[in-house]
Amino acid sequence: MDFALSDDHLVLRRSARDFLEKEIDLSPLLRPNAGVEEARYAENWQKLVELGWPGLIVPEAYGGSGLNCLDLVMIVSEMGRTLAPGPLFGTLAGTWAILKGGSETQKQAILPRVAGGGMKLALAISDRDGSSDGCGSDAEAMPAQGGYLLQGSKSFVVDAAEADLLVVAARHDHRRRFFLVDPRQAGVTIDVLPWRDTTRQVCNIRFERAKAELLAADDMAAWPWVRDRLLLVLAAESAAGLQSVLATTTEYARERVAFGKPIGAYQAIKHQLADMFSAGECANVAVLHAAWALSEETPQASASIAMAKSYACDAYVAATHQSIQIFGAIGFTWEMKNHLFFKRARANAEMLGAPATHRARVIAMLEQQAA
Amino acid sequence: MNFDLPPDDDPRRLEVRAWFAAHPKPKYRAMAEAGYVVPHWPRPWGLAADAELQLIVDEEIKRAGVLAPNLVNPVAINNCAQSLLTHGTKAQQGRFLLPALAAEEIWCMLFSEPSGGSDLGALRTTARKEGDHYIVRGHKIWTSLAHKSKIGVLVARTDPHAPKHAGLSQFLIDMDSPGITVRPIIDMSGEENEYNEVFLDEVKVPADRLLGKEGEGWALSMSQLQTERVALSKPGAIWGAGPSARELVQGLIATGATKDPLVRDEAAKLYIEGEILRLLAYRSFSDRMNAKGAGPEAAARKVIAAPHGQRVVDLAKRCQGMAGLVRGTEALPQPNNGRGTYDNWDYAFWFSPAVTLGVGTQEILKNVIAERVLGLPREKDPTAKTPWSELQKPQLKAAS
Repeated sequence: MDFALSDDHLVLRRSARDFLEKEIDLSPLLRPNAGVEEARYAENWQKLVELGWPGLIVPEAYGGSGLNCLDLVMIVSEMGRTLAPGPLFGTLAGTWAILKGGSETQKQAILPRVAGGGMKLALAISDRDGSSDGCGSDAEAMPAQGGYLLQGSKSFVVDAAEADLLVVAARHDHRRRFFLVDPRQAGVTIDVLPWRDTTRQVCNIRFERAKAELLAADDMAAWPWVRDRLLLVLAAESAAGLQSVLATTTEYARERVAFGKPIGAYQAIKHQLADMFSAGECANVAVLHAAWALSEETPQASASIAMAKSYACDAYVAATHQSIQIFGAIGFTWEMKNHLFFKRARANAEMLGAPATHRARVIAMLEQQAA
Repeated sequence: MNFDLPPDDDPRRLEVRAWFAAHPKPKYRAMAEAGYVVPHWPRPWGLAADAELQLIVDEEIKRAGVLAPNLVNPVAINNCAQSLLTHGTKAQQGRFLLPALAAEEIWCMLFSEPSGGSDLGALRTTARKEGDHYIVRGHKIWTSLAHKSKIGVLVARTDPHAPKHAGLSQFLIDMDSPGITVRPIIDMSGEENEYNEVFLDEVKVPADRLLGKEGEGWALSMSQLQTERVALSKPGAIWGAGPSARELVQGLIATGATKDPLVRDEAAKLYIEGEILRLLAYRSFSDRMNAKGAGPEAAARKVIAAPHGQRVVDLAKRCQGMAGLVRGTEALPQPNNGRGTYDNWDYAFWFSPAVTLGVGTQEILKNVIAERVLGLPREKDPTAKTPWSELQKPQLKAAS
């Protein structure tokens, strides 16, 4: 039992933080109607490529760094703290899907190119109703000429418009399977959505007889494993984003003066910030525990990340709203960053299952144990 | 980083388990002599145990079905007796420690007064030196266990001309001394009384009962309030004791109450929060192993844990419906077979408003976090630097 981060982890986190604090500039997003492109979505990626981040979770055998989940949390937390725009989420998602679902040939063909920064990925899992679990799908695969053709749509796909290769969940033979799809073919149409969280690129995709290649593993073998890791990214981003909001709001409360003293001298403000801090401590320890459990693949890993995701997202949502309240009216304007965090928090909470959905999963797991 | 707890076949665990196998239903004195009451203390009282061994001992006491001695004599074992190691004389250590650890002499804390609970430094009880005695006069309130106690840890004002915090001293007094009257406070639960008022009328206290030096009373009191042992094995609803969220959810699943979607979501929230509180408790132990002091999460943990506990017993009570209003009707099976004071859902619920008041009110703890952790401006106490006796003058009272 030792809850302290190792020196290696602290160094990894520090270097990620130093880099992102220097490189990430959200100010272009503080003009109305600006989207991820203005926030240097593409340029940021080039910098991440130079650091080798596309290959963070690619095993060393395929030319990556082979980080485990706990290592990765050191980096994605910092991405969340800075709201760094860039297609890392999509590439992580696609990599995990191929790692778990792909054949050896598919891994050999794709993963080294991902690790080298030459291939960005996206995972198309969600349907129009937002669901990502279960065997239904708005996309259907039909066998054709030794391969498959996809028909239908996928929704809310992160980083799809810039991706070089899509991993798509589609129904085939009454089951959900995963397919590799080249987005630059005539049968694929990608629309970037006017997504409220302008630090992330989110798209809808339509398939018209799009050519596709089947991934080896079936849905049940691959998806829960991939999903738990994506939930970890969202939870880690949220817990770290909360820390950033806490720090800036505390600083504001120390400096902003009303009725002759800093507003942070009033208990009404102090107590809100103390609540935010306490919830932040809870979110942090929940995320670290889940990261450790996923790294070690312990039996309670799935429950642990369901708990961390639901807790951290709820806490982040509450903190970003409180932050706007404490800043006062200025915090409600487009020119301040408060709303960027507010919107990221809302989006993270909804992605891959809302907090209540994961709480229901936790109770279902407990009921199963009791039965 | 490693969240694994000491395994079931850990040799240290097997040794503790063997001791309890050889001593079924042990007397607390035997446990105290074996070092199992305060394993984290130095020998001969404890085992100089690191955090993992402490955790093992806690778990094995529970496994053996023994009611932990710190639940019987909490003030001595959790809070105050440790001060004798650093500030007590050899004679005081010899006289008081073993009977305290063996729970043969119950202790109480004579701290709070009617003039204010959170502002302890403003207390009015005085101890006046007369020869080889002190004469104590005053009035204490909210004293847990006073009616069962042999020993009282008293904070009193020995120097009325010093500023309020500087003039305080601590004494170990006999609760059966002439001049002490204990009057029970019937709290809103209406059950066996937890709290008392204690009247001290010209009580003679031998000078050798002074703990540490005169003027050290404030520092001693603060350290005693902060050294409460982390209730590790069971993050119960009532200050770490009593029913926990795990027991709540197990019980609600067994009764089928979780089929109701609203109950289901609330139960899940509480379960998750309970698991996180467990992790925070383990983390503070882990921090101590890494020789880090009690981190800021200690205050944060209490701020989350107290209302969490209230919601745990509240949901159990609500799931009873009308039947829950009938005195003594249990919501769910009692934890620990009902042996501890709070191992009782009905009592724990009607008692639960106390947990955001006692051991630091929610408001004071949030101030502590805001000021000492987040660095927000400190609340100034305009009376902190003034000699206490000046503050008692009528014209100043009227002006303040």
